[in-house]
Amino acid sequence: MPTIIYSQPDGTSTEVEVADGGNVMRAAVNEGIAGIVGECGGQAMCATCHVYVDPQDAASLSPVEDDEDEMLDCTTAERTEFSRLGCQVKLGGPVQRLRVSIPSDQV
Amino acid sequence: MSTIPPATCPFTGTTAAPLDAKASTPAASTDTDGREAPVADWVRIEDLRRNPFPIYQRLRAEAPVHWVPAVNRYMVTSYAAAHEIEQDEARFSANERESLMKRAMGHSMLRKDNPEHQIDRDSYGATLRPGTIKKHWNAIFEANNTKYLEELKAKGPGADFVWDYAAPYTGENLRLICGFHNATHQDMQRWSQTLIDGTGNYADDPQVWAKAAASSDEVDTAIDEMLVYLAKNPDHSLLSNLASFPIPLEAIRANLKMTIGGGLNEPRDVLSTTVWALLTHPEQLAAVKTDPALYAKAFEESVRWVAPIGMYPRETTRDLVLEGIRLPAGARLGVVVGAANRDPQVFEDPESFNIFRPKKPHLAFGGGVHFCAGTWIARAQVAQIALPQVFGQLPGLRLDPETPSVDEGWVFRGMTRMPVLWNH
Repeated sequence: MPTIIYSQPDGTSTEVEVADGGNVMRAAVNEGIAGIVGECGGQAMCATCHVYVDPQDAASLSPVEDDEDEMLDCTTAERTEFSRLGCQVKLGGPVQRLRVSIPSDQV
Repeated sequence: MSTIPPATCPFTGTTAAPLDAKASTPAASTDTDGREAPVADWVRIEDLRRNPFPIYQRLRAEAPVHWVPAVNRYMVTSYAAAHEIEQDEARFSANERESLMKRAMGHSMLRKDNPEHQIDRDSYGATLRPGTIKKHWNAIFEANNTKYLEELKAKGPGADFVWDYAAPYTGENLRLICGFHNATHQDMQRWSQTLIDGTGNYADDPQVWAKAAASSDEVDTAIDEMLVYLAKNPDHSLLSNLASFPIPLEAIRANLKMTIGGGLNEPRDVLSTTVWALLTHPEQLAAVKTDPALYAKAFEESVRWVAPIGMYPRETTRDLVLEGIRLPAGARLGVVVGAANRDPQVFEDPESFNIFRPKKPHLAFGGGVHFCAGTWIARAQVAQIALPQVFGQLPGLRLDPETPSVDEGWVFRGMTRMPVLWNH
C-alpha cells in the first residue's frame, strides 16, 4: 500500500498506509496526525492542511491547479515552492512513498 | 462500503466510538454501548435567546449530548462531538426530514449530502473564492464601505452601528455577489430576515409562513429576470455563473435563498460583535489600532466567541454512539457550535474575548463538506476592509452610555441594537 511519512516540526515522524487514491489530508485526519486540520473536508477551500512535500517527490505529484494555487496564498505558515494542500495530493501510481513536513501553524 | 474510520479530534485526541452499533441488541446494552442522553428539561428557549452561554457551560459540564425537550432535539455541545459530526456525513446526514429550512427556502445544498451536495456547490464556481475576491470583489467592498460609512457619519453620533451601517453595507455586498441588479439592499435585508424566520418557525405561526412565502416568490421572480439578463451580460456574480451551468432551476432558487439567509446576517453580526467586543476591551482595541494585522485575529476570535450561526441541524442515519451517548437512527441533532467554540477542553479561559489566545481552529464556519462557502468573503469584507476603516474614520468610537447595546439570539446571535458615539 502507498505510504505517507508525516514529519512534525519537533522532528518526530509517523508512517501511515493509505489506499490507492487516498490523499494526504484525509489520511492525517483519520489517523489523528497533529497539525493537519482539514476544516473544509477536502474542497481546497480552507488552507488548513498545508504541507511541505519532500523536494525529491515534488515533481512526481500532480501539478498545482488554480484553486489550490490561490488557497496556498492563504496559508498561515510561509508558502514555499514545496507547499501543497494535503487534500489535493493523492497517493498511488508512481507516488508510492511520500514524505511531507507539517508546518508550525495551520490557523 | 462505508467503513469510514472514526474521526479523531485533533485537539482532545478523542476518537469516535466504533461505527457499527447496527448489531443492535438493545435489550442487552452495556456501558460499553454508551449511555442514554441525559434530559435537560430545565433549558428554556427564552433563556437561550437572552444569553445561551451559561446554559451551554452547564450542559457541557454534564454531558456532550442532551435531549432538550424545549428544542425538541438532542443538543450537541462538546467540541469533540461537534467535530466528529462535521467530519462524518455517512453517519450524520444534513438531509433532515421535516426540515423547516426546506419548507421556507426549498431544498438547498446545505440540506443535501454528497454526491448531490457537491453538484450544487460546484455550481457556485469561483465567485466566492480568494482569487475572485482579490481580483474583483475587494474593490467593490471598499466602495460600498466608503458609501455606508459616509451615511453613518451623516447620521451623526447616536446612530445605530448595526442598522445604519453594518446591515446596509453587508446587504449591498451580498446583492452584488448574488447578482440581483434588479433589487435593493433593503430587499436583501427583508428577504433574508423573513426567510430565516421561516427556517426558525418552530411555533408554526401562519403569519411567519406567509411572509416567508411572499419573499420566496419575490426572489423567484428576481432570479428568473436576472438569469435572462446575465446570460447576455455576464459578470462575476453567482447568478451569472448559474446562468450557464447545467442545474435545475429549483436548485438555483433554493441555493440562492440559502445564500440570502446565510450571507447577510452573519457578516453583519460578526462585524457588529467584533466592534462591540473591541470597544469593551480597550487594551485589545489599542493593540489592533497599533498593528492592523491584528484585525484578522480579532475577527477569528470574535466568531469563536460568539458564532453568528450558533446551531445547525443534523440527523443520524443509524443507531450509533457519539462521545459515549447512545443515539437512535433518525435522531434529530442540533450541533451547537456556539457551545463547542467555548469548550474548555480545547480553549483555555473560553468565556473570555482574547485576540491573543493561542490559535486553534474554531467551528464557527462549520467543517467538512458543508464548510461555509462564504468564509473568505466574510474575512475580506469584515476583517480586511470594514474594521480598519471603522476605527480609522470614526475617531474616539465608543458605545453610547445612555442607550445600552443589546446582544441576543442563540441559533443566530448578534447585536440587535448598538448606538455609538464618536468625536465629530
